[in-house]
Amino acid sequence: MSKKTETKVYTNSRHAFLRVLIIVFAIALVLSILLAVTIGAVKISFGDVYRIVIYNATHFKIGSVETGILIGDLDFASKGTMYEIVWNVRMPRVMMGAIVGILLAMCGVVMQATVQNPLADPYILGISSGASLGATFSIMIGASALFSGVLAGMGTAFWAFAGALGAMALVMTLAHVGGGRITSAKLVLAGCVVGSLFGAFTNIIVYIGQDAENMKNVTYWLMGSMAAARWHNLALPGICMVAGLLFFITQLRTMNTLLLGDEAAITLGVDLGKWRRVYMVVTSLLSAVAVCTCGIVGFVGLMIPHIVRGFVGSDHRFLLPIAALAGGIFLIWTDVLARVIIPNSEIPIGVITSAIGAPIFVYMMIKKSYGFGGADR
Amino acid sequence: MRLETKDVVVSLSRKDIVKQVSVQVRENEFVGLLGPNGSGKTTLLKSIYRVLRPSAGYISIDGTDMRQLHVKDTAKRMGVVSQFNNLAFDFTVEEMVLMGRAPHKKAFSQDTEEDYRIAREALEKVDMLDFRDRSFMTLSGGEKQRILLARTLAQQVEMLVLDEPTNHLDIKYQIQIMDVVKSLGIGVLAALHDLNLTLMYCTYVYVLKDGRIVADGPTEDVITEDLIRRVYEVDCSVERHPKSGKLHVTFFSNLQED
Repeated sequence: MSKKTETKVYTNSRHAFLRVLIIVFAIALVLSILLAVTIGAVKISFGDVYRIVIYNATHFKIGSVETGILIGDLDFASKGTMYEIVWNVRMPRVMMGAIVGILLAMCGVVMQATVQNPLADPYILGISSGASLGATFSIMIGASALFSGVLAGMGTAFWAFAGALGAMALVMTLAHVGGGRITSAKLVLAGCVVGSLFGAFTNIIVYIGQDAENMKNVTYWLMGSMAAARWHNLALPGICMVAGLLFFITQLRTMNTLLLGDEAAITLGVDLGKWRRVYMVVTSLLSAVAVCTCGIVGFVGLMIPHIVRGFVGSDHRFLLPIAALAGGIFLIWTDVLARVIIPNSEIPIGVITSAIGAPIFVYMMIKKSYGFGGADR
Repeated sequence: MRLETKDVVVSLSRKDIVKQVSVQVRENEFVGLLGPNGSGKTTLLKSIYRVLRPSAGYISIDGTDMRQLHVKDTAKRMGVVSQFNNLAFDFTVEEMVLMGRAPHKKAFSQDTEEDYRIAREALEKVDMLDFRDRSFMTLSGGEKQRILLARTLAQQVEMLVLDEPTNHLDIKYQIQIMDVVKSLGIGVLAALHDLNLTLMYCTYVYVLKDGRIVADGPTEDVITEDLIRRVYEVDCSVERHPKSGKLHVTFFSNLQED
């Protein structure tokens, strides 16, 4: 009898601990956002930064003369250089880091469950190669050279998104060829094939293009950056992030079952074929949105889920929220590094995520207790 | 619950593996499925637990065509222990067994104390309660097999489909698992290799060879020296054991002894 009580306490306390961990990560994300706005190439004091943020975030309620809540001289808070830097550059940038980080880490977790493969990342269905081709096409050739009207005027983001969707459609079609159920192996292989095909197209465009300035733009875009973040282009990824989170939160139990393998999932009542397709399409759309707003930020979608799984286990009810929050925090701080590591210059965030990610990954490979989801052999 | 297949044909890569097979498992009946390697036992079972789709014929539960039922509905009523596949992700033993509750759960419902109690009872039945906090991947093949049975027990079904459930198990646990399954008093369809275990537990057997049923009937009537020679191509003798009172099969080696 005492044995049973003990089990109950153990189980509940572990889950309780993980629930607390979710809250801790949520708080850490908020703190990261608040702290990251104060850091940048231009030195602005904490006080000034927060006065600007509070003043603007509350729609001029706090700090205005009418409400009587004064926080000092506020002329600088609604116009001028400092206002521009803090409110129109840093703040959207930090928010973009949080949103894209959450999107990518969440998509990584879901993708790994969907294809039951710990090597899967959000770009597995050819998203990155498709987006690269689209962006390269747009930058090097220019849509206006081939299209007229609305299509000609679309920016790099649009073409990257179109390329990503094209690649995804092609991968799904290839995985279907020959009939039968879509298996993980088929998907991964189709992703590789489409990746190398699109890569070849991208290379030929770059090779023919030969324009040094455009080439630099392409490279920069491919390695990812939050520099383009403004309030107006936060809306789409922001809405997608919230919608994606809300959707996947209803799917956590099903995702757990998917990890047990195809047969077990079916015998435990999961309509495998249907959900696998739904998850792949949703994650691919979400990652395509992330890619088209800030380029290809590698490693986050692969690495964050692994690191978090190493600590909290494979139960998606805890893994998904914690990994998503960790992704947001991670990308906020890597972006801070990208902004400040070289004075008066900026390096692509993809470089930093990989430079930090690779050593952590190696460490986890060496550390015996984590088998990358697999057994320790 | 009554499970029935009617003239089921299953093809893999355009080859018919199961050819017009009709089997029936009535309520509380322990039915064995015998046959040599490659005779189509696993393929037939896979079509029953909906991993493969029959190309002809139909499978029904209590007279309802399975195609009209959602997989979640069949999962509430029929549990499966299949041949073990390696996993890509790890879980603790208790998490693994709790997954058996999945078909009974809605998307948002929490695991209740009731679920934990059911999971623990299932673990107790297969003698694995002390392993509940262990990582599933660190277990031996036999231990994994017992955990998977526990997961199916936690599913609380009316019918069990077992594909060589005693694979990987030493004799103690072969008997323990078969005892556990038998004591549930629910319908069972089990593909088995061990003829003596079959004689101990099954009340009715179907014998498959090359995808067709070549014999069926009450276990003791079907398992004869002649049938074993025809189906498995080995010599043996079938005798009643003086102590157990059950029929017992003794096999003979092909090597000539000096």
